Amino acid sequence: MTAPREPMDAVMAFLEPAFRRVDPLAGDAAIAGEVAAHVTGNSRLTPAEQVDIYRRQYWLRHLDALADDYPGVAHLVGEEAFDVFLRAYLVAYPPRHKSLRDLGCDIVTFGDGYAFADDVQAAAREMLAYEHAFIDLFDGAEPPPLDPQKLTSIPEDAWERARVVIHPLLVHRRVRFPVHRLRLAAKDSDAAPRTEPPALAPANLVLYRDDNLIRFEELDGTAFALLDALARGEALGPACEQVAATLDAAAAEQLGAQVGPWFQQWTARRWIVDVVV
Amino acid sequence: MSTKPPARLGLPDLGVGVGMRIPHYADLLDGPEPARMDWLEIISENFMLPGGLPRYNLGRALSRYQLVQHGVSLSIGATEALDLEYLRKLKALIGETKTPWVSDHLCWTGAHGVNLHDLLPLPYTEEAVKHVAARARQVQDILGVRLLLENVSSYLTYTSSTMTEWEFLTAIADEADVGLLLDCNNIYVSSFNHGFDPRDFVDGVPHARVAQIHLAGHTNYGKYIIDTHSAPVIDPVWQLYRQAIERCGPVSTLIEWDDDIPPFAELCAEAEKARVIRDEVARDRAA
Ligand SMILES: [Fe+2]
Repeated sequence: MTAPREPMDAVMAFLEPAFRRVDPLAGDAAIAGEVAAHVTGNSRLTPAEQVDIYRRQYWLRHLDALADDYPGVAHLVGEEAFDVFLRAYLVAYPPRHKSLRDLGCDIVTFGDGYAFADDVQAAAREMLAYEHAFIDLFDGAEPPPLDPQKLTSIPEDAWERARVVIHPLLVHRRVRFPVHRLRLAAKDSDAAPRTEPPALAPANLVLYRDDNLIRFEELDGTAFALLDALARGEALGPACEQVAATLDAAAAEQLGAQVGPWFQQWTARRWIVDVVV
Repeated sequence: MSTKPPARLGLPDLGVGVGMRIPHYADLLDGPEPARMDWLEIISENFMLPGGLPRYNLGRALSRYQLVQHGVSLSIGATEALDLEYLRKLKALIGETKTPWVSDHLCWTGAHGVNLHDLLPLPYTEEAVKHVAARARQVQDILGVRLLLENVSSYLTYTSSTMTEWEFLTAIADEADVGLLLDCNNIYVSSFNHGFDPRDFVDGVPHARVAQIHLAGHTNYGKYIIDTHSAPVIDPVWQLYRQAIERCGPVSTLIEWDDDIPPFAELCAEAEKARVIRDEVARDRAA
């Protein structure tokens, strides 16, 4: 497109990795000559000290952005270990997206292979995935609302094969640790630092957006299993059958009476955005 | 340029505004009446999103205020190809906000696929002028609104530079036929860090191309100043602002405050100071 850009390329080829170095450039004799070839310095600062201003800002900016997104992980593993984790992540996955919103796009993968302290390892990984889910939920696209007229027009006998469309941003997952409560505690500025490792407290969690706010809800096992089947695209009849097959006779008996109220509740919360027959 | 462009490149003088920041949403968006503010600047990237709270608040702001888009991710100086997907999203937002112009920084933000999320200075060379001007022209064509490039605060200078920062800015603006967003605080910060007279900078830019001015506070660490946007505008920066208004005429002015954000009333008081200076310069001009 334009003339060759060797000098600009040379400057950027040197500075891009220098700006995100872990250690300061100032005092590193091996690199001093190369820095001085590109950067002038002034009467108060050496060339390396000038580059280090940007390097420090790089770390502050990215560590702050990640700390904002994963407060629960910091609470679980402790501030110091969290800082070490974030630095290791940024070294392994330098920022590639225009927006800081996407800074943590590889953090769940990275966390799955990262050694947190033994007593918090499992909870920290679960928390990381839980908190990461907030990002898409916060600013993802809202589908058109469910048309009530459409519901009333569905013939009685068609419900069996109707596909109930779950909100595309809704996140449902079984957790072993109470990550939802731990995150709330972490965000409470008066909260005491955690002293005990988190205890197991399995829950069926639904994370959803309502009126632009992110909320969570715990479901009982049966309701959760039905929601899961519907989210996988099963039609209502087969989804209920699948769930009933996992229940004892008495519970299976009750299921038919429970589905209606659940459907109403989930519709009111906009978990259900369409019904396709 | 053979003919001198019209003042502000013909763009409107919107008066004095402030950056729209989350801690002030209640003051700006929730009250029965809009706040007394001529216009608001939004960071484009914060609203180039499909849905949720940011989009909801954008809609509320648009129903009350004139919004102007300011970006941080264009990376006009990068040597990688322009990000056409980013420009497509930016253009879509322009269609919604009806911003009279769009601004971003004369800088590079990354290389080799890495985004450093910083406003990094370019070497002031003929090569960089040609490179940036060609890209700026292309961006302005794609977006369909006037592009303003902003001078950044910088903390280093390059051995390869062959001209002053204001000569660099001028050469690019003239060659690409784009406008300038003159940041008086950035001029001051860079003049301290690199030892030039900031008044030469203000005198040296093509005044008719200046269509917006930024004012902000900074943090002085003794050996260098960082552009933190975390404090009131200091007196020497107000003086540069007066000088800029004297040279350029009335220009849309914006107070930036992004860290240690004060109560809205305090920000309004800073905006009021800018109004007073604009009025004084206008009176002096008329006299
Ligand atoms: Fe600025």
